[in-house]
Amino acid sequence: MSATAKYLIERFTIYLLTIFVSFTIIFLVPRLVPGDPLAVFYDRLREAGAMQGVEQMIEEYKRMLGLDKDIFTQYVSYIYSLLRGDLGYSIGNFPAKVSDMIMEALPWSIGLLSMTTILSWLIGTLLGAISGWRGGRLSRVFSIAALFLSNLPYYVLAILLVFVFAYTLRWFPYSGGYSVGMTPRLSLDFVLDVMWHSFLPALSIILSSLTWWYLSMRSMVATVKGEDFVVFAEAKGLPQREIMWNYAVKNAILPQVTGLALSMSRIFVGALITEVIFGYPGLGTLMVTGIRTLDYFLIQGTILLSIFAVATATFLVELTYPLLDPRIRYGGG
Amino acid sequence: MSGTKGIRKYRNIVKVLAFLRRNNKVTYGVIAYLAALLLSAFVLVAYSPRSKVVGYADPLLPPSPQHLLGTDILGRELLVLLAESVINSTVIGLIAATIGTLAGSLIGFLSGYYGGKVDYVSRLFTDVFLSVPSLLFLILISSLVRAVTIVQMGLLIALFAWPWPARQVRAQALSLKEREFIYLSELSGESKLEIIIREMMPHMIPWMTANFVNAFISAILTEAELSILGLGPQTEMTLGMLLWWPLNNAAIYRGLWWWWAPPLIALIYLFFTLYVVQLGITEIINPRSRVV
Repeated sequence: MSATAKYLIERFTIYLLTIFVSFTIIFLVPRLVPGDPLAVFYDRLREAGAMQGVEQMIEEYKRMLGLDKDIFTQYVSYIYSLLRGDLGYSIGNFPAKVSDMIMEALPWSIGLLSMTTILSWLIGTLLGAISGWRGGRLSRVFSIAALFLSNLPYYVLAILLVFVFAYTLRWFPYSGGYSVGMTPRLSLDFVLDVMWHSFLPALSIILSSLTWWYLSMRSMVATVKGEDFVVFAEAKGLPQREIMWNYAVKNAILPQVTGLALSMSRIFVGALITEVIFGYPGLGTLMVTGIRTLDYFLIQGTILLSIFAVATATFLVELTYPLLDPRIRYGGG
Repeated sequence: MSGTKGIRKYRNIVKVLAFLRRNNKVTYGVIAYLAALLLSAFVLVAYSPRSKVVGYADPLLPPSPQHLLGTDILGRELLVLLAESVINSTVIGLIAATIGTLAGSLIGFLSGYYGGKVDYVSRLFTDVFLSVPSLLFLILISSLVRAVTIVQMGLLIALFAWPWPARQVRAQALSLKEREFIYLSELSGESKLEIIIREMMPHMIPWMTANFVNAFISAILTEAELSILGLGPQTEMTLGMLLWWPLNNAAIYRGLWWWWAPPLIALIYLFFTLYVVQLGITEIINPRSRVV
């Protein structure tokens, strides 16, 4: 068997296993927890004062969720419905399907996160390239600051931005995705309103992820700078600018590109706490709504989607590694 | 016998401490962290436990000489809550980091030293667990296990704290395995487990310490994140819960800065001290990595 085939098979096995293990854990956990997975739901019904017909309703739910069958049958039907993309019904918002609720929140998260991911990547990579190429004291100071910032939890920055720009200066709205009273439609007014509302969340995400791109690009460029072919280009008398862009950056950009591809999968996870802090109507807020209203199927649905997206993106990136960089051989370790 | 063994163990600990003290950053970072803990313990002793009870004082009082950090929406003394949450978050961090590092290291040693099928299976699981977004699982699990305690929270986080140490220790064990003194101990009839614990482990202590600090930081931050999402311990205070309360009650927009700022500052402070410790340990392991 060739090394390539071996590499592909190994990666594919890990991909399938990741999804299989995750989905199985998600299936097992609620059934391992003592008590009924629907216990919380009964309590809610009772609190709401529903006395009549509760028993029948619970029976109906049990039948619908297949909880009256043995665990193996449940597992098979669970996997089967997942394959069809059926994530079940929301408990807190009953007739609504979880997949529909996700579809409603998804564009918000995709919009915010794809924009911020690409912007922070561009800015961070550019700054990193310049700083790595030039070196010097300023670059060192920047990288120490970035090193600290990059490890700081992302929501710290979000809280501080809300405090400074929304509360103290009142430049930006407190929360939400668009102004109350506006109907979502494709008009200049609405688009501008959305952009105004998403400015602070976007800024907090850009600032906190920019440091990662900056640091990795800086160290890659600094490494490439010491390579023989760069020294040779300098000896040939090529202009610095040309050496930097065509020699150093070109070679250092690869890990950045794969990093970008990997973090693009995060757009299916949402920006959890950032969304909560800014009241942004994306996947993160949806997940927290699920947590707050004890809506197990909503939480499960968003998590299943996220895990699937992250695992798939990782797998695709791993497949294209060797295509992008001939220096990487399949297999190896 | 057990007496000399105890002394030898004690000597080893002293050696490790002396080793870590060679680096100023480790010393200062640890002292700064311990200072925060001591201060918190002092506050808890100085104030009566009643100050944590709902309705102890008027709600939402700003800081004053009577209430140094003010009170929260339920009229509880915020200074006392902060002190309690620093200690509780530390306990969560300790539980998660200790279990995660020990379990991970053991898996790494077994995987690297035994090789073959053991290695293949454990490497596969490590890879799978590394590529799974652990926070999402923690959200799912803790949304089912309602009303977690501090210890349960630590254990939950520990569930996902082992893969990094496992991968790192495995890589080191692979190279250690080829050293002569390991061959010698094999020839002198030590069992494999003895070799792992008595011959390999001492060499790995710097790495395990680094992993421990790493896991400690990320456990404290993970707790905060889970709690801010509304999944924290319901009956006890942690830094995350202390942030959940104001965030869930729009404290920023209501100008109640004394409610949300202290836990945030405490979180950054603890994070910073541990981060300095981590930098120091990285420098000890790899002197070329010196950044500052």
